[in-house]
Amino acid sequence: MKIKSKNTIFAIINSLLLFMLTGCEIDAVQTLPDRSWQLVWSDDFDGAAGTAPNPDNWVYDLGTGPNNDGWGNGEFQVYTNRPENISLDGDGKLVITAIRNAGPSYTSARIKSKGLFEQKFGRFEARIKTPTGPGIWPAFWMLGSDIDTNPWPQCGEIDIMEQRGQQSSITVGSVHGPGYSGGNAISKSYGLVNGRFDADYFIYAVEWGEDYVDFFVDGYLYNRITPDDVTGEWVFDQPFYMLLNVAVGGNFVGFPTDGTPFPQSMYIDYVKVYRQIQ
Amino acid sequence: MKNRQIIYALITFLSSLVLLLGCETRELDDLQPLSFPTTAEVFIDDFTGDLAYSAFGGSDVRAFQVDNQVSYDGSLQSMRFDVPDANSPNGSYAGGVFFSKTGRNLSGYNALTFYIKASQAATIGEIGFGNDLGANKYVVTLNGLPVNSNWKKVIIPIPDASKLIAEKGLLYYATAPENDRGYSFWIDEVRFEKLGDISNLQGFMYEGQDRTNNAVETGDKITINGLQASVNLPTGVNQTVNISPYYFTFSSSTPMIAGVDDKGVVSVIDAGTTTITATLGGKTATGSLKITSTGAPVGPTTAAPMPPAREAAEVISLYSNTYTNVPVDTWNARYIFSTVDEFFIKVQDDDVIRYRNLNFVGIEFRNPTVDASSMSGFHIDIWTPDPISESTQFKVLLADLGADGAFGGGDDKNHEVTVTSASLSSGNWVGIDIPLSSFTSLTSRSKLGQMVLSGTLPNLYIDNVYFYKIPTKPTVAAPTPARASENVLSVFSDAYTNVAGSDLNPNWGQSGFSTSGPTLIAGNNTLAYTNFNYQGLQLGSSQNVSSFGFLHLDYYSTNATSLNVFLISPGPVETPFVLNVPTSGWNSVDIPLSAFSPVNLSDVIQFKFDGGTASDVYVDNIYFWKNPAPPIVPTSAAPVPTTPSADVLSIFSDSYTTVPSPIDLTPYWGQPQAGYAASVTSIAGNNTLYYDNFNYQGLDFATDPQDVSSYDFLHLDYYSANATALNVYLISPGAETPFTLTVPTSGWSSVNIPLSAFAGVNLSNVIQFKFDGGDGTKDIYVDNIYFYKNTSSGTFTLNDVINFESGGFGASWTWNVFENAGNPPLEFVANPDPSGINTSSTVAKFTANQAGQPYAGTETTQAGTFNLDAAHKIVKIMVYKTVTSDVGIKFAKPDGFSFGEIKVPNTAINAWQELTFDFTAQLQDGYNQIVIFPDFTARGATNVIYFDNIRFGN
Repeated sequence: MKIKSKNTIFAIINSLLLFMLTGCEIDAVQTLPDRSWQLVWSDDFDGAAGTAPNPDNWVYDLGTGPNNDGWGNGEFQVYTNRPENISLDGDGKLVITAIRNAGPSYTSARIKSKGLFEQKFGRFEARIKTPTGPGIWPAFWMLGSDIDTNPWPQCGEIDIMEQRGQQSSITVGSVHGPGYSGGNAISKSYGLVNGRFDADYFIYAVEWGEDYVDFFVDGYLYNRITPDDVTGEWVFDQPFYMLLNVAVGGNFVGFPTDGTPFPQSMYIDYVKVYRQIQ
Repeated sequence: MKNRQIIYALITFLSSLVLLLGCETRELDDLQPLSFPTTAEVFIDDFTGDLAYSAFGGSDVRAFQVDNQVSYDGSLQSMRFDVPDANSPNGSYAGGVFFSKTGRNLSGYNALTFYIKASQAATIGEIGFGNDLGANKYVVTLNGLPVNSNWKKVIIPIPDASKLIAEKGLLYYATAPENDRGYSFWIDEVRFEKLGDISNLQGFMYEGQDRTNNAVETGDKITINGLQASVNLPTGVNQTVNISPYYFTFSSSTPMIAGVDDKGVVSVIDAGTTTITATLGGKTATGSLKITSTGAPVGPTTAAPMPPAREAAEVISLYSNTYTNVPVDTWNARYIFSTVDEFFIKVQDDDVIRYRNLNFVGIEFRNPTVDASSMSGFHIDIWTPDPISESTQFKVLLADLGADGAFGGGDDKNHEVTVTSASLSSGNWVGIDIPLSSFTSLTSRSKLGQMVLSGTLPNLYIDNVYFYKIPTKPTVAAPTPARASENVLSVFSDAYTNVAGSDLNPNWGQSGFSTSGPTLIAGNNTLAYTNFNYQGLQLGSSQNVSSFGFLHLDYYSTNATSLNVFLISPGPVETPFVLNVPTSGWNSVDIPLSAFSPVNLSDVIQFKFDGGTASDVYVDNIYFWKNPAPPIVPTSAAPVPTTPSADVLSIFSDSYTTVPSPIDLTPYWGQPQAGYAASVTSIAGNNTLYYDNFNYQGLDFATDPQDVSSYDFLHLDYYSANATALNVYLISPGAETPFTLTVPTSGWSSVNIPLSAFAGVNLSNVIQFKFDGGDGTKDIYVDNIYFYKNTSSGTFTLNDVINFESGGFGASWTWNVFENAGNPPLEFVANPDPSGINTSSTVAKFTANQAGQPYAGTETTQAGTFNLDAAHKIVKIMVYKTVTSDVGIKFAKPDGFSFGEIKVPNTAINAWQELTFDFTAQLQDGYNQIVIFPDFTARGATNVIYFDNIRFGN
């Protein structure tokens, strides 16, 4: 399979971390690098409603993190593998749902391909309709496969998509590594001029090669990060695995509020991974 | 849309232009667009377009002005609103409408947005659009908008912009002071926008709840409320607004049960279940209404019975078309947890209150309270379509509010009375009368203010709710006597000629002397004893009433606690008889004159009443009476004997074969009187011996003497309306012994004479009978003369059981059936269900015919004499019935006297049950007849009743 990414779109590329645009419209024509891709791995999330995602592709992260610290981010949710938090919808979608319970306390889900599928370089994409609301933090992202022996941030992290639910028109793509992790990640936002990411499905992707990571929304390249851009060692030269989750609260997104609508669901139509062919 | 409409308009115009071509010419400039401007701006720096402002009524009309000092983003002007102080003379709130005079097409937008700030933190009560000072068809309101002293942007979503093609209401607001203090707020940059960063429009009915209403009926209208829309704002939170029903498309899952219009009003049209849902912008709204209709209401088709006429002082009416009603605050106080709805309806032009879904209903009449302290009863008519089961109840609670006349205060009293299923009926008006004395906890009723109706009847119609007292003076005359005057000796009655010269009000020193005496009640002379303690009546002459059986009188007293009537003969010899008081109307009583023993009935001179304590007693129709003399010639045949023929040696009976042969039924033994004749005559087709101008008469079978020593009884039936003495003799050669028969009879009398009564007669050689005691003028009829064997084990005493067994008592007796439509004989049959308390083999079977009287029954005089005494005052009988109804037992004396039957209902059906009758009040010697009424009720069908094991004890 070959994809040629060329798109004409109302969009704007902006190097500001937070990107906001009102009132004006700029027509832009983008010319993308010509790359050919071969599909090597995919999950279309076909299956009966209420069933779990394919265990050959995904494992669960459960609980509140190995250090009981909200997965290092002060996140509020407890991850479960309950069908109400994560299951197929019978219509080819995986649904990850964040639920507010009495207390309040929150449950949600996080899955990863760790140990099941890991790859160095290539195109990693997913078609996702994201949730919304203050304190809601959906993400499609990757971690270096040597994380158990080479702890974060040394293992590296590529965030293909993460969003703050209180900014439904903005998506963020980032890389984390030694010397540029957490709040100092190398990051860029992409905003919709007159639309919202929770209103429809969007294809979030990175194209990752020896000396670049390109970030795409619906085929539109909005950022390229190269070794020159990072403020430390370039660690993106080993196999990575993928993660999908919906977090609630945490130091990236802030607290959920009384006005945050619950439950909130992230719908994933598919995840596909390609290898570049020369 | 706009462009397309212009094109259509243009085409329409051009085509008409073609038709008009050559007639006139017009400039294209004359064309007016058919659609409305799509202008987005409402107020940016000033009014846009044809915007106008109108303040709401009651608001401060000067609240709004254009402000050129304060604005958002430093623009020229903003809108300023000065909310007045509470109670400001200029108006109590700020509110008004900004409207377009011609209207705008807003279908291209999805939100109204503006910036707002205020002089202080405050809450704007309502702000929105769609209020056009007219139909307000597409109103959208954001309620309770918090504002502060910083500008903030507000987004009010348009739920379905396609509706807003000619909207005039562009902005409206209404808000009250904060803590009674006014303040100012500013609004700027008001415009309609097409926002890309709001999403997830969702409609709601009942604010998203699924409602269920099972208490719905045909004709009900239910307005759906809680209509809302929410969108998710760019900040990720939902903004919820209240919106007009016209934005929704409603539907009913089963339209033939209930329909729904575009205003969200559900109309129920038939019985069944349907669910009402809605869509907003093509998307299903959250929330629903499921209704289950019971169909058309079932109610009374006739008015409640009209209450009797009463004096104003004798009724306090809460609800009635007959009386003047006192004020009632509410017939449904809607107390918490009360589910009832009330309807004021008319039935045949009569006002009726209908309660639906009644669990309990509070009724209040506190302004003023009701003083029912002089009343004695509470009345309510109720009608229910609900089925009545054994556990069905209807309850009435009355509350007195105490001295303060208000709820609380520690002086309230109340009491609830429960009316049980026996007094209730489905589908009929039921009048319920409860003596106020039954409300025992209601120690005062001078300030009644509340009534609560409850129970297990969810559907209830009520009418004629009132308190009343039974008047101390009757409003209607005593019942008119119907006895033939020849059987009556009247003391005081308009119906008869009275004993002349009686003093109706002799002065015996009684308290009511000056006021007592005859008075007219409803045109009828009545003795009125007011302020009564005792009262006499002096007969105009001594009366011999010994030939009369009873004293009749009608009396009325609603306030007496004790009342006795005395008959007095010289001495004085006087005996009281207790009359039951108080009465709830006229009471009639027939007192056996034997009750006045030892008064000399042949010399009665006075009456006396006593027992009063300043009470009011009315008396009428005081007369002695006797049963009419029976006809000389019987109108019916003698009873057909039931004794088995195997036990019988018959002398004269159509039922058996006469044994002596030959036999002379009418021998001439020298009877002296002229006109004397003995013959066999036919009475109702039955051969009967008739002795005309009777003196004495024999019956001779001397040529075929009979040995009756193995028999126990002589049976005979006899009839004489005029005999004063009658004896029967059994004769053997050289020996005869009389037995005295009771005469005159009031019909056929049956007698079973133990043969031991004929001592001296040689029972193994009986040759003749003889009757004597006549004076040559009397008429005697005799039938069914036979000897029979007692198959019972001896003579019945009250220590024996009437068990209908072979060798027991009862089956060999003659049981007459009466008033039973053909009188099928009592049968003795095998026990239909030898189980439970009765496993005996033979029982009595009584067939109670549908056409028979309620008091159809069977009686026997063959048990002997019932001397009821303390050791034999309780009578028990086992019954086996297919229905529940009263069983009656009565004892009577040869002269017909009886205290009447005692009735006890069975409660079990198709099973043996023993019923207990207490005759303590009837203990007397000399009863010779027991009467059984096995099914004492009006019957809808013929019922077979079995009974058995009648026994006596204490």
